[in-house]
Amino acid sequence: MKDLIQYSLHDYVRSHKYFPPISTFFVLILVFYTYKPNPIIDSYAITALFLFVISTWLCLSVLSLDSPVQRQLMILHLGSSYRYYLAKLLTVALIAALLTVFAFLYPIIFNMFSDSVSPAVGFISFVNHLLLAVLGIGVAGFFSKVMMESAINAYGGLVLTIILSIAALGIENILPASFKYIVWLLPPATITQRQLIQWKGESLSGISYLPFLWIMIYAGVILLLFLILAKRRR
Amino acid sequence: MKQLAELKNINKKYGKKKVLYDVSLNIKEKQVIAILGENGSGKSTFLRIAAGIERPDSGKILYAFKNMRTGYVPERFPKYLRFTPDEYLHYIGKINGIPEAILEQRISLLLRRFQLDKWSNRRINELSKGNIQKVGIIQAILQQPELLILDEPLSGLDISAQQELLSIISELKEQKTTVLLTYHEASIFEGIVDQTYYIRDGRLAEEMLTEKQGMKLIETKGFIDSDVEEWKEVLYSEKREDRLLLYVSSKNSNQILMRVLKSGGSIESVNSTDVNN
Repeated sequence: MKDLIQYSLHDYVRSHKYFPPISTFFVLILVFYTYKPNPIIDSYAITALFLFVISTWLCLSVLSLDSPVQRQLMILHLGSSYRYYLAKLLTVALIAALLTVFAFLYPIIFNMFSDSVSPAVGFISFVNHLLLAVLGIGVAGFFSKVMMESAINAYGGLVLTIILSIAALGIENILPASFKYIVWLLPPATITQRQLIQWKGESLSGISYLPFLWIMIYAGVILLLFLILAKRRR
Repeated sequence: MKQLAELKNINKKYGKKKVLYDVSLNIKEKQVIAILGENGSGKSTFLRIAAGIERPDSGKILYAFKNMRTGYVPERFPKYLRFTPDEYLHYIGKINGIPEAILEQRISLLLRRFQLDKWSNRRINELSKGNIQKVGIIQAILQQPELLILDEPLSGLDISAQQELLSIISELKEQKTTVLLTYHEASIFEGIVDQTYYIRDGRLAEEMLTEKQGMKLIETKGFIDSDVEEWKEVLYSEKREDRLLLYVSSKNSNQILMRVLKSGGSIESVNSTDVNN
């Protein structure tokens, strides 16, 4: 597994396909913090949402690195398609974790906030970035070349899903009461936003963990489904 | 001979097109099996299924033991790999769990045998078709597989690489590797193939030798091989002074000629003869 992750990272670097998503993320962060001071929790909530979108992009590009024949050979050498796809997802997660560190440290290092970041706020914001990155990876898996042969369908479907996920709160407000539950099917990319904006950041007990738990469950289920379906599509 | 794998009633279709119909095959240890057939007959699909890369729609594949080491050379090895042969083969070896010291030795030996050592630091996507094919072959044999599957392995290979592949297959066979391969035209493989099957329109049939086939009388000199009677292609042999006369079916004559030459003998004459003579 470790060797395949290393192989994928090495291949990704050589391909230069990392450049568009990662540079876009850097630009987004730099532009977002153009002016200071900024509110801590709200700013981190927004940069986590950026990371959600960028993670889907990263995941699509990492999963499209190997040609179908190369993918078959790797699965044969590994003896398991499950290990192959898991290694690919972990590769993206590793890159997303590095971007999380950047998104977290950049405003602190360059004094972009109105106040200092307390451990409670820092911890919750960091976890929120990681969770949304994993959610993005899970969502992108379903729209990758592994699952969809048509690139138009894949990109179109992914963009629509991302837009719907981000607009979920607004959609929920305009839907009739009996249809509101449909929103729960969408990736919960903004479910923690409301919690974070209302949170004063004094202590870890002042925030509900259910939205975070829901992201974990949702991401876990779709990642598991991806691994099962990808294995069947061999 | 022990059975290595068994493919039972394999069926496969792509969309509405059925590619394989109830194909069954017993694969025994230490054998070289050739699967021949025209383009689009289902050979490559059958090999991919035998390798475990593709799933059949129905049918069973039974392997003699779990986690069998299988090497596979695809018909078209990926040409856009961004690694050098050395880097790529190191990754493949590590993924297969080959210890670093052994891996280093094996890679350098195989690169030398296929004369790829001088290209080992160039990226695969910059290599010629033949050299890319050599990388494809090395990745399959690096782990010393129990089952080696080669789909048109000669494509793009020069004569010396073909000879090297032939000698590697013979060595692997000695080490109990079973080889399943396809090729198009009469090739150097004919001399080492134990069993030949034809796939026609997705159906498998074993090659049959008929008595009506013509025979050739090959007169050889300077060729001493005590095992010659064990060459299954030689139907009859006769020693006359310093010469050895070999009677073979016409269809096997080319491979016998090559085998004689490889053993250091010379060909004095080749004549057609009647089976009743």
